[in-house]
Amino acid sequence: MAQALLEQIINGTMMGSIYMLVALGMVLIYGVMHVLNFAHGVLFMVGGYVCHFFFTQVLDSYLLAILGSMAVLSIIGLALERGVFRRLRDNLRMQVIASLGLILVIQNGVIAIWGPNALQMRITTTDIRVPIGELSFTLQHFLIIGTVGVTVTAIWLFLTRTRIGTALRATSQNAEAAQVVGIDANRMYVASFLIGCALAALGGALLGPLFLIFPTMGDLPLLKGLAAIIIGGMGSIPGAIIGGLGIGIVEAVSTLYIPTDFRDTVVFAALIAVLLLRPQGLFGVRVRGEA
Amino acid sequence: MTAGRAGRLAVAVVALLALAAPFLLADQPYFLHVLILTMTFAIPAIGLNLLLGYTGLVSLGHMGFAGVGAYTTALLMMDHGWSAVPAMAAGAAAAGALGVLIGIPCLRLRSHFFIIVTLAVGMILFALFNNLDGITGGAEGLPGVPRPGPLDLGFMVIDFRRLGGFYWFALVVTLFALLVQYLIVRSDFGRSLAAIRQDEILAAARGVNVFAHKLAIFGISTALAGLGGALKVMFLRVAAPLSFELLESINLVLLTIVGGAGYLAGPIIGALVYVAIPEILRFADAWRLVLFGVILVAMTLFAPRGLSGMIEAGWRRLRRGPAVTGEEAADGRPA
Repeated sequence: MAQALLEQIINGTMMGSIYMLVALGMVLIYGVMHVLNFAHGVLFMVGGYVCHFFFTQVLDSYLLAILGSMAVLSIIGLALERGVFRRLRDNLRMQVIASLGLILVIQNGVIAIWGPNALQMRITTTDIRVPIGELSFTLQHFLIIGTVGVTVTAIWLFLTRTRIGTALRATSQNAEAAQVVGIDANRMYVASFLIGCALAALGGALLGPLFLIFPTMGDLPLLKGLAAIIIGGMGSIPGAIIGGLGIGIVEAVSTLYIPTDFRDTVVFAALIAVLLLRPQGLFGVRVRGEA
Repeated sequence: MTAGRAGRLAVAVVALLALAAPFLLADQPYFLHVLILTMTFAIPAIGLNLLLGYTGLVSLGHMGFAGVGAYTTALLMMDHGWSAVPAMAAGAAAAGALGVLIGIPCLRLRSHFFIIVTLAVGMILFALFNNLDGITGGAEGLPGVPRPGPLDLGFMVIDFRRLGGFYWFALVVTLFALLVQYLIVRSDFGRSLAAIRQDEILAAARGVNVFAHKLAIFGISTALAGLGGALKVMFLRVAAPLSFELLESINLVLLTIVGGAGYLAGPIIGALVYVAIPEILRFADAWRLVLFGVILVAMTLFAPRGLSGMIEAGWRRLRRGPAVTGEEAADGRPA
């Protein structure tokens, strides 16, 4: 039992790291722009595909392929912010609907280009096994956990120690006051979308080699990322980080006690419970007119 | 939409054509099939339109409620020998009751949070349909859902097991849903819903019980979704979980927007486009859904009132009348 528990905790930490990347990107975009981007999951998926393209067709270096994928997704994010979300500012319903439309466009676009079948990406880190006691994991598991750890720390330092990061947090806390002190809101929107999309690409590029790359690979990370930012508290960055990690571990451990088929149900039931009992989330601050 | 004599005439012509379709399309079973499928999407879309277009609430789990109606109806007919109409009524009531139960705690949440809760509820319902093998048949679903028994009108017998007969059955159910929508929209209750959409706080200050109104419309809306789900499984003769998954709920929102949320005819137009467009765009097989998505995103940017709004604007320009009406457009005007 202890073996199984340890195995699930490591698996859960790995998946939780992925959810963390998705949740962090979504919470940045939500905090700054008040856009709930349902297309974040398909951007994650495109990140996997672009990484696969760079790796197999162009670069033959996993690291460079990841960076290339993050760069491409940043540009896509820029285009979406400029072309769609900025124009729908303050129209919550239409933003949600536009992001749903983008799911349709991007998911089917990927199917039209790459076909509906899963792609495989062979890199050495998925073949190397790391033994821990009687268990063994792929090196990719630890690569994901490590990379996400470093990235999240870097984002945290960026948000707290740099001028742009501080301006982002200020806009997220109070957009009007931020404008009064001279922060350009449009630049902040662009920055949040750029970072959010790059993080989604990183997630897709990290998970792709482990679990294959397919058109719906971003659906569950999106839903879990959403759950993470709700449970953590809408707009709270530490909440998104802890929420993402927590969901990964809880859902992995829950498979020891209840059938795997109901794993997602546990997460969504927890989501509803948190919303009802503590609508501001575990780490959120209650904002008037929000919850 | 129905304002004016020309509008009424147009509705009458469409209604007559719809009624006569089985005769006109007697040798075109495929078209009848498409029309019935359209109606199975239109009915949940009418429910969603009341929520999205008239009250301003977004639900991303509506096909989950449709599934509750569908499985309830299927089980009552197959295991308990109920006939079609009471079974459908029970299915709609079950979906509506669940909607009320979920609405009581969740409708207090606003904006994004309510949207996410409906999404979570839809996901949970789908997981239950897909995995409760003993009740719902799991991923394979419940095959062999019966269609209504024949109806003897004296001068003719309508056999609902045949495509033409079932078309009339579906048409009657759809007309019923449209009637519900019309009566609500044109009532004081409907006007209060519009007030909530435009400004919730102002509506509350004017004495509208916002929560009670939202709860009532959410219950009606989910009941209509259940009715549509029941019709769908009766038509397809199988209750399967894939008809009620998240993607279907999202598509339902999208087709309601394309048709024109806040217009009486919006859900019908949206469902027709949604079912028909894959057929029209056959030449671009792989790209047709991409194109549909692009059209949709463009509509949120440039024509947020949907096709109904565009038709209305075109008609008004022709008549040189005022250019703005419709529910969404009314939001900009002082109350």
